[in-house]
Amino acid sequence: MDDPVRTLVAWCPDWPVVAMGRSLDQPVAVVASNRVVAASRAARMAGVTRGQRRRAAQAACADLEVLPRDESIEARCFEPVLASLDDLTPRIEVVRPGTCAFAVRGPSRYFGGDAAVVEGVVQRMAEVVGNRTDVRVGVADGPFAAGLAARLADPVKLVEAGRVAGFLSPMSVTVLERPDLCDVLIRLGVTTLGTFAELPASSVIARFGSAGVEAHRLAAGLDPYPPVARSLDPDWSVSTEIDPPANRVDRVAFCARGLADELHGRLAAEGVACVRVAIEAETEHGEVLLRLWRHEGALSAAAVADRVRWQLDGWLNGSAVSRPSGGISRLALMPDEVIPATGRQLGFWGGETEADERAARVAARLQGQLGIDSVMVPELRGGRETNQQVELVSAATVELRGRSIQPESNESAPWPGGLPVPSPARVPVDPVAAELLDGDGQPVIVSGRGAASGRPARLAVGGRSAEVEAWAGPWPVDERWWDPGSHRRRARFQVLTADGSAHLLSLEGGRWWITATWD
Amino acid sequence: MASSGSETAALLDMVAQQTTPLALAHEQTLPVLPVLEGLLPGGALRRGSTVEIHGIGATSLALALAAQPSAAGSWTALVGVPSIGLMAAAEAGLSLNRLFVVRPPTPGSWSDVVASLVGSVDVIVVAGGHRAGSGDLRRLTARLRERGSVLIRVGEAPWSSSSFKATSGNGADVHMRIVSSKWEGLGDGHGVLHRRRVEVRADGRGASARPRSVKLFLPGSNGAPEPVELASVAQLLVS
Repeated sequence: MDDPVRTLVAWCPDWPVVAMGRSLDQPVAVVASNRVVAASRAARMAGVTRGQRRRAAQAACADLEVLPRDESIEARCFEPVLASLDDLTPRIEVVRPGTCAFAVRGPSRYFGGDAAVVEGVVQRMAEVVGNRTDVRVGVADGPFAAGLAARLADPVKLVEAGRVAGFLSPMSVTVLERPDLCDVLIRLGVTTLGTFAELPASSVIARFGSAGVEAHRLAAGLDPYPPVARSLDPDWSVSTEIDPPANRVDRVAFCARGLADELHGRLAAEGVACVRVAIEAETEHGEVLLRLWRHEGALSAAAVADRVRWQLDGWLNGSAVSRPSGGISRLALMPDEVIPATGRQLGFWGGETEADERAARVAARLQGQLGIDSVMVPELRGGRETNQQVELVSAATVELRGRSIQPESNESAPWPGGLPVPSPARVPVDPVAAELLDGDGQPVIVSGRGAASGRPARLAVGGRSAEVEAWAGPWPVDERWWDPGSHRRRARFQVLTADGSAHLLSLEGGRWWITATWD
Repeated sequence: MASSGSETAALLDMVAQQTTPLALAHEQTLPVLPVLEGLLPGGALRRGSTVEIHGIGATSLALALAAQPSAAGSWTALVGVPSIGLMAAAEAGLSLNRLFVVRPPTPGSWSDVVASLVGSVDVIVVAGGHRAGSGDLRRLTARLRERGSVLIRVGEAPWSSSSFKATSGNGADVHMRIVSSKWEGLGDGHGVLHRRRVEVRADGRGASARPRSVKLFLPGSNGAPEPVELASVAQLLVS
């Protein structure tokens, strides 16, 4: 069991961009949580990299098209690619949309060697993918090494059995994708996987704990988890009959949610967590679709439910050939690979983690009742207007537990033209039309050189008016003058009226607006 | 144990005394910023209570009340008040990491939404002007007491045309009103809004029946509430 399973990983580069229906020759970036998660070839040539902030990416490539990430579309588009491999092996595992893996021992014996299987995979996938992107295939002992082989493949890379340690040893420790650990290792002078693997395991566990041991085993070309004596109990799988059979994804997804919660509860009671789950859907006519899904961390209930939805989305809304002939009548979730759950330690007497947990649950419940956009959480953005500095995103798209959105220190630098603190407590979603009049009852205007035509004396809003007690301005803003489409030119005033309310007024296109109020 | 029956009883009594919780569930409180302690009986927000805030500056006061619980790890939900400035919330001390902005699909459904949030989110801020049947409100307050969340209702922003319905009949536990406010820093064509000196008066029922009053800067020069006394002492020292 200590020997890693010989695995084939097939990878379609830049899948998030391809799934959005864009050509890789256009400059396109797919963005999640304000960070670039994937970029097209053309965008990369212009200097866009993964992990970059959206604004930095736009600065590097001026005509960049920025798209929000949609994992369900990615998974749906990937389903036909997976379906093309179904006659090679029945147990294909989706690492993430765009990357799949399977154990290659059985197919290799059947087809006569790894090379024959690889050839079959490349040919079948290329047929489906066409010229949208290329296909890279790597074969090595263990999914980690095979994934790296696929990344280095051009378009195929075979690492011979038993040679995996030699293959891994010259690589940089950053390929482990554990930024905290790698940071420390590099500062300790351990830069390659080979030198890391040479460290004694006992020292690694003493210094880096169980996460460090996983990484250490990976670096040595072993299975990341030490062999566990217990065998997998088949009773952990859960299934449900759907009656009447469901044709719509949302109905199945609803059942999947409950099923995933049940599975999660059962595994938690046993003290284990699931890193690979098999999702099996059966139609009323007996057609069965089975897919394995893997996750680097343990799969949470919500993550399992998401994957059920993606998988069925691809199947039920796929091409006419692959679409099932009837509704889904049975759904089963089978934990395929489990590890001892290290879990999160809850604070004593509840505490912060418990509060986060409860909040995440209520957000999920409200979103189920009222729609996905009913519960939003703030994310910090740059901007000089009060309504640009914070953007609301759906709570479903972020991890609520232990959330941290404070900007990095270099990102909190002041914005030229931003407003000084304190910020206004009320920022209406739509600005309120207003009139700012001078002493003669004439509207105050601002000249092209930024000079006000008179002293503001009265502020009129919707029929009511109030004396202006104090004011400051105009503070002109001329934004994006190089782009006729988004060019904005306005002048801002702070105005305090006799009734004690303070407003931020904005003159744009000859009209006055109340854009914010210090309530 | 080879002791007599009476000794055992005395020991049991002692154990019972030592294990009695000092605070009953409904007496548990959420902390508030030190400048606001003078407004509340015991200097803290009692779990399960409702607070109503009126007057110019009500939004800032609501954010200031929610700041300390939020900083201490509680979640805050803003229900049906999409216009609250979240930068101001962050400056007041609220953690944006633990903040929901909830949009009820219809104005009438806010009480259902709040009922779902109660118990999961410690501080819930709703806008005034939302109305609900008295039965709904009774159920909601009962649920608040049982599950221990705090509900804060904020008066409408001054430009809104819909008139604010004072729902004193429904009986919030604490009423707060900003009775005077004066901005500093903005002049006649110069300067910038710097801070606002306010006087807040609070009364209510039960333990909060005795009127209380506090003077503070809301917001202070860095956006967070500041005590007036300390500031004036500091000014004296400088001058």
